[in-house]
This record gives sequence, C-alpha cells and structure tokens, in this order.
Amino acid sequence: MRRYSSDWYWYYAINYTLVIIIIFPIYWTLISSFKKPSELITSEPTFYPHDLTLQYYDQIWNFDRLKRLQDTETEDSDSAGVEIESKFRLDGEGVKRPFINSAIVSAGTIILTIIVCTFGGYALTVLKTPLKNFFFLLVILPILIPGISLIIPLYKLLKDLGLTNSHLGLILIHTCGMLPLGVFMMRNAFNSIPSSLREVAMLEGSSELKIITSVMLPLAIPGLLTVMVFAMYVSWNDYIYAFIFINSPENTMLNISLMKIALGGSQFEMKWGSLTAGSIVSFLPIIIFYTFLQQYFVRGVTGSAVKE
Amino acid sequence: MSRLRKEQLVGLLMVSPALILLAVFFLYPLVNSFYMSFHKWPLFGKPKWVGLDNYIFMFQDERFWESLKFTFVYTLTVTPMLFVVALGTALLCNAKAWGTTFFRSIYFLPVVMSFATASYVWLWLYSEMYGVIIYALEFFGFGGEKKNLNVWKTGTSSMWAVNAMVTWKFSGIQMIILIAGLQAIRDDYYEASKLMGASRWQTIWNVTLPLLRPSIALALILSIAGSIQAYEQFVIMTRGGPSNSTKTLVMHTVDMGFDYFKLGPAASLGVIIMIILFVLTVIQLRLFRKNY
Repeated sequence: MRRYSSDWYWYYAINYTLVIIIIFPIYWTLISSFKKPSELITSEPTFYPHDLTLQYYDQIWNFDRLKRLQDTETEDSDSAGVEIESKFRLDGEGVKRPFINSAIVSAGTIILTIIVCTFGGYALTVLKTPLKNFFFLLVILPILIPGISLIIPLYKLLKDLGLTNSHLGLILIHTCGMLPLGVFMMRNAFNSIPSSLREVAMLEGSSELKIITSVMLPLAIPGLLTVMVFAMYVSWNDYIYAFIFINSPENTMLNISLMKIALGGSQFEMKWGSLTAGSIVSFLPIIIFYTFLQQYFVRGVTGSAVKE
Repeated sequence: MSRLRKEQLVGLLMVSPALILLAVFFLYPLVNSFYMSFHKWPLFGKPKWVGLDNYIFMFQDERFWESLKFTFVYTLTVTPMLFVVALGTALLCNAKAWGTTFFRSIYFLPVVMSFATASYVWLWLYSEMYGVIIYALEFFGFGGEKKNLNVWKTGTSSMWAVNAMVTWKFSGIQMIILIAGLQAIRDDYYEASKLMGASRWQTIWNVTLPLLRPSIALALILSIAGSIQAYEQFVIMTRGGPSNSTKTLVMHTVDMGFDYFKLGPAASLGVIIMIILFVLTVIQLRLFRKNY
C-alpha cells in the first residue's frame, strides 16, 4: 500500500469497524450483567448501564442452596424429594461450586500435562530411550482421531474404572488429549538446548531429575508456557466431556451449570442477567491468561492445528 | 549397570506415564469403539455379537440421515463465511502499518472464549424481543409490523444465526494460519508485480492467493473437520430444534448413547465420525508436509 494516500483512512476505518464488531458482543454482555432488570429488559436498549447493580453476580455466586431447597419445600411440602431436586435444578443454581470444580479440573490438567509432557519430551529427545521414534509416533497418533469420536467407548471405560462423575476422570482425559501437542512442544523446546549443558551437569554428578529441573526446564520456559496455556484452554473450555461424564450437581462444571441458568426461566430478567453474569465469570480466567500470555495462546491454539 | 543401560531405563521410566495414559485413554477406547459397534449392549448382562446389525440399524434410522445432512449443510455454509472473514482480516493484518499487532490480538480474542460461553453470549444477543441483534434487525425492518422476530423459529434461520456466532468466534484461528502463510511470501513477488504495473486487486488475485494456496487448503480442511464435530453451539443455542432440524451428527451420537442407551449403534456412529475425520486429517497432514 502506498503511503500518504486516502487508502490509509480506509485501512483504519475498516479495521476499527471490525474491532467494534468483534468487541461488541463481549461489551454488550458485560454491560448487560450490570444493568438493573428494568434497564435490561426494555424495548429501548441503552448502550451503557445508567444504574449499576451487582445483583446477578450476587445471585449466581452466593446462591444459597439450602435456603432455596427449603423455600421449595414450604411451597409444596408433600412432593417427593426427586421433584424438589428437579425443580431446583430448573431454577438454576449458583456457579460458585461449579467454578471451583472447573478450576480444580483445569489446575489438575495443567499440572499433570506439564509433568507427563516434560518427562515424555525429555525422554524422547535428550535421553537414549529405546524405540524413541516409535514412541513419538505413538504419542502424536491422537491427532489423527479427535477424541469426540471416542466418547462412547470413553464413557464405557470411565464407568468400568469407576471414574464417571469424578474430576480425576476428566483430568486424565484432558491430559491424554494434550499429549500430542504437549510432547511435541516440549520435544522442540529440549531439542533447541545444546547438549553440552547436560554433559557439564552430568560431570558435576547431578541426577537426571536435577538436570531437568535446574538446567533444562528454565531454558524451556516458552515451550512450557505454551503447553500450560493450551492445557488451560482445553480443560476450561470443555463442554461435551463435562456434560457426559459428570452427572451430579456437586461435581458439575461451570459451562454446564450455565446451561441450567439458560434453561431455567421463572423470572425472565433474572435469567438473562444471571446468564450474562455467568458468561463473564466463565470468560474472566481465560481472558486474564490471554492478556498476559497472548503469544503462547496463539502458538498453542494454532500449533494444535498445524503440528508436524 | 553401564551408563547407557541406566539412561535407557530412566528414559523408559520417564516416557511411561505418557504411554500408559495413551494406552488407557486412547488406544483402548479406539479398539473398543470397533468392538462395541459389533456388539449389542443390554443394560444388564453380557454384550452379544451382532455383526453389522448396529450399522444396519443406524443406516435405516432416518434421524441419522437427517443429522448427517444437516451437518453437511452446516459445514458447507459456515466454511465460506469463516474463510472470507479470515482472509479479509489476515490481509488487513499483514499490511505494513501501525497497529496490526493490536488488530490481530482483537480479531483473535473471541477464539479464546469457550464455544459454550460464546453460545450463551449470543443466546442473549438473539433473545426474543430484548436481544440487541433482534432489536437491530427490527430497526431495519425485518420481522414485520408485529415486531415478533424470532431467529429460532425455523431450522434455516437458526442455522444462519449459529453460523454468524461461529464466524465471530472462530475466524481468528484461520486468520492466524493465513497470516503465517502470507508472511512466508517473499517481498520480491510483490515488487515484481508492482514493476509490471499491477493494481492492488490484481496483485492479490494473481500473486498472493496462488502463493497462499497451501495455507488456504489447511484453513479450509480445519474448518471442515471442526464443523463436522459441531456440538456445543447447537446443543446450547438451538437444542437441536425446531423439531430436530438442527441436530448434528455428534448430537445424534450423544442422544443415541445417553438418552436411548443404545450403546452399540452409538458406537457405530462414533466409528463413522472417526472415519470421516481421519480422512480429513490425513489430507490436512499431507498438505502441510508437502508445502512447508
């Protein structure tokens, strides 16, 4: 493009228009979650909240489970427990517990992925492991077959292992899904470290574990961060596994609990207020990651597509 | 024990967690999905060999063909939408100009949001009567006098509504792939085309796009493979409705397995999805290896 021409006005006009279009849904959700019900549900939408309220966040975060259950019981005291449970579910429940559950699963996935992929990548690069190339091919094999086509046998497997409705089951499945990208990234990271560093450390009598933690890993931090960010992305954003493998309200994941809010609708404005607030709550951790670790995000997310 | 021996053992020890995970949570389910698809799975008792019965049951099921057809229609409509936006933003971000890094990070922003969250967000934007998109559409005269526009009324309008969300959410990934391809094109080509007096559009059409072909193919395959796995966006936004007109293959599989408890046919559906995706990924990897 030539400089000092009207082209540049067009260039920035188009770009800023696109920026507005991209940002708008997020901005709209954010302001909706702070609007008072009367301002939220109106035929004349306002483009910034005139009256801020935290009531939806308060509602979804501090939802008092017992209190709600008692309210339902006093309403129709002779109905069976099952009915109370289902009614309670329809009205939507707090997202505090699901938020913590999702955080546990994400943290577990990140930690386990880093451990497994670091050791795996190290063994398949630096060490003289037998059958190295065969093992590496095996580890990246899942790229060819996305996990979504294996949900039925996976469900069967978790059931046989007694891991349905458990966070451990989800963590193991996410970690297994992370193996191709994780081992690949760590292998690349270790490959770029000169082998003389390890030899020096060995002469000093360091153990292999010591070499990994004090010599190799500090040099492999970009790879490590990419793996971490992508493990977070995969586990925090998962829906289908959480939906199928978890079936009790105590263990439910954040994304699934929002569905209960979306389905419930005794009070229209509370539903949309809660849903927008819930969406913001679920977006917040990942956007914080994105803000600080953006380049690793891009690398991880596209790396998952363009491996090899 | 010699040093080499020891190192080999340590190596095997270190790679074993990955291999165990892989064997239990990938290889075993992979083999088992074929085994399951050839057996009948009663709620109680042992599985029984039924040969191809599950596949026959599945192929005779009209819901399978409907979901297959819908999945293909969805794939064929959303792929061009994603591609046009991705190519446009990639070309914009590849210009040598101030602010491209900022624009790129904004265009990539919706990608990091989960499909589920994006669906909830757009559910509110599309909300009957009070959704801001509905409001805008009515403002421009859609929906008639009565102002009762509802995008979820028909299968077609539901699909386009979801397509718009997916385009917003997902074009960032393809944009990044295309930018990587654009950056690999050497400046000489542009200079040569400038010397020959080509206009900007001629340059894009005759120089950029042909050289970008490998990245374009990769982006398209990715989008197709992703669309065939579509689940969250439809489960959350349309719930398969109205009257099952927006049910995807994966949704049908999940229904079959966990609503009707027909594990055998569900497993055979999984095998079908696996084969489709396997073929696509093989093409994708071949494209990638050939050109980079």
